Formats: sequence, structure tokens, C-alpha cells
Amino acid sequence: MSDQDADAEVDVGADAETGDATGGIQFGPGQDDTGDTGPDLEAADADGRPGPTDAPGGRAPYVESPIIMTTVRVVVPFVFTFGLFVMFHGANSPGGGFQGGVIVGTVVLLLGVAFGIATTRDWIGPRIPVAVVGLGVLTFVGIGAGSVLLGGGFLEYAVYGVKDATKYGIELVELAIGAVVAGVVTGLFFAVSAGGRPGGEPE
Amino acid sequence: MTPVELSLLVFVVGCAVAAAALRDVLGSIIAFGAFSLGVAVIWVFLRAPDVGLTEAAVGAGVMTVLFLLTIAKTVRPTDDALFESVDPYALATAVALVAVLATTTGALPPVGAADQPVTGGEVTTYYLDNAYEDTEVKNAVTAVLAAYRGFDTMGEAVVVYAAGVGLLTVFGREVFG
Repeated sequence: MSDQDADAEVDVGADAETGDATGGIQFGPGQDDTGDTGPDLEAADADGRPGPTDAPGGRAPYVESPIIMTTVRVVVPFVFTFGLFVMFHGANSPGGGFQGGVIVGTVVLLLGVAFGIATTRDWIGPRIPVAVVGLGVLTFVGIGAGSVLLGGGFLEYAVYGVKDATKYGIELVELAIGAVVAGVVTGLFFAVSAGGRPGGEPE
Repeated sequence: MTPVELSLLVFVVGCAVAAAALRDVLGSIIAFGAFSLGVAVIWVFLRAPDVGLTEAAVGAGVMTVLFLLTIAKTVRPTDDALFESVDPYALATAVALVAVLATTTGALPPVGAADQPVTGGEVTTYYLDNAYEDTEVKNAVTAVLAAYRGFDTMGEAVVVYAAGVGLLTVFGREVFG
């Protein structure tokens, strides 16, 4: 970090685009799609924001570390399973949709840190988190409003007439909450890493 | 208070002061992550494992990564001072606010007191007595969250949803990323 600082003090004054080479950490700052670097540079200057990542002479924003990649590769299935366990088993032990959703979202963060955020985002696709969040909210509201329509109170699971309706209803609601939380955590991660330029196009 | 709890509290307060005072933002974020982890363990000591799980996952995990992303997109302060300079007026305001809020702590029952309203109150008793028959789940927290107080929880889920939508609105996008 120290040799970067010297560069920064020169560069920040001279050229705003290179200022972000000194961010202090090494993974994926603002790793945008490669096709749009030209417009982005101008957009960044206009906004007064630090520009895209690959400053001339700066280091690569994402460092491919075999240690981190291997660790994440081993750990991720267990973290994902644990997140689902916390979500499903929240009815009988500490946990529930909020906690499990965050843990499932953490899986995406781990993948992003290990394999590059842009790569992970392309792999998952930007629409999936939005769809998951919307689906979660609709499921929760649907279960709640459905019991009202069937003549019961809000979330009065018993009116659905299924065996153990309350138990499974609660599980479903927890899953819906988990979907909302996991989607928003993932989306927050992607959105913050991509920055504020809409779709990578200059305004 | 046991030595473990005491050392935990000292650790948490130390991390909080470090997070506030350190000039290096990266160090500050690491201190904040350690603070969250310490608070998560305190929640477990206070018999609130649900909250501890959330604190560990959100505070120590997700927030740290989001903060790191944020500093990766901003520039470093140019000088080499170790600690942030303290604004006396802001400090006085913060201390005054804490002092005002601290006056209410005398009205709280001691931690773990057997006769506090939350352990013996009518609502608590009803939930603990009837949660299993009513909802068929063993975790009373979940029973309250997803059955008795389900409407509140829908509000919480919608708040998270609204936060995501707000983020997209601020960024001017229709999809994340």
C-alpha cells in the first residue's frame, strides 16, 4: 500500500481517473464490463467520482489468489447448507429467515471476493436477485392475504386446511423472508461494486 | 460479572473506540468488524442467540465487505496521521446524547433479573404457555415472529424489500449490478 500512496498524491491532483488505484484493498473495485471503459472514464470525471479500476501503472483490482479460491471452493457448500439449515430449522432452534437469508447471501459475497465480483455477477446474472426479492415478498404477502381471503385473520395458517398448516406455513414464510434478505444482500453487493452509473452507460 | 464477560466488554469498547478514532479507514473497518463479532458473542451471553446470529452475519460479515468495497471506490486521505482529529463540538454533542440516554438505564431492571416484566408479564406468559399448541414450532421466537406478530414481520420484510428498491432508485437501475 505504501508505494501506492506516493503515486496517489501525485495522481489525485493531476488526474482524477487514477486516484482510486489506492483504495487500499485488492478485490474488484468498480470492476465494470470491459466494453464500456471509454464512456465510463468520461462519466467518472463528470461526476467527480473515481473512475474505473485499471489505473495506468496501478495494480489489478482483483488478485487471483489460489489460497482464497481453494478455501472458498471448500467452504461455500457448507456455508450455503448452513444458511438453508438456519432458514428451515429456525422453527425449532435459533435462526430463521432473516439470519439464514444473510448467510446464503454471504455465499455470493465469498464467491465475489474469491473469483472477482464482475465474474460472479455475470455468472449469477443481475436479474436473479431482483426476481428472488420480488418472489419472496409476494410469497409472504400472498400467504398472509390468502388466509384473509379464506375468511381467517392475517397469517391464520389453519384456514388453509392442510395438515400441520401452521408449521409448514411458518416454514414457508421463513423461506420467503430468507429469499428477500438473500436477494437484497446479494444485490447490495453487486450494486455497490458496480457503482452508480446506470447500466454502465454515460448519462 | 464474570471475567469472561468483563474482558468481552473491554474488548468491545476498545474496538468501538478504535473504529471511531483510527485515521486509516481500512483499520477502522477491521476494528468495526471485530466490534460486531464481540457484540455477537455478548448477545449469546445474554441468551439471545437469534440476535447474535444476525449480528455476526450482518455486522461482522456483510457490512465489513460492503465497507471494504466502499473504500475501494474512494481515495485515501493524503496525510499519515494515525488517529482521526476529534471535533470537540461533535464529541460534546455525542457525549451529551449518550448522557441523556444513559439516565434511562437506571429505570431498567438488572440483566437477568427474575422479576422483570418481560419474563413474567401477561403477554410473555401467554406466548410461552401456548406457542407450541398454537403454532407447532418449538422456537418461541419464531412463533412470535411468524405467527403471533406476523403482520409486523411482513412489515420488516417489506422494509428490506424497500431498501433494495431504494438502492436501485438511487443508482438509477432496474437490476442489481
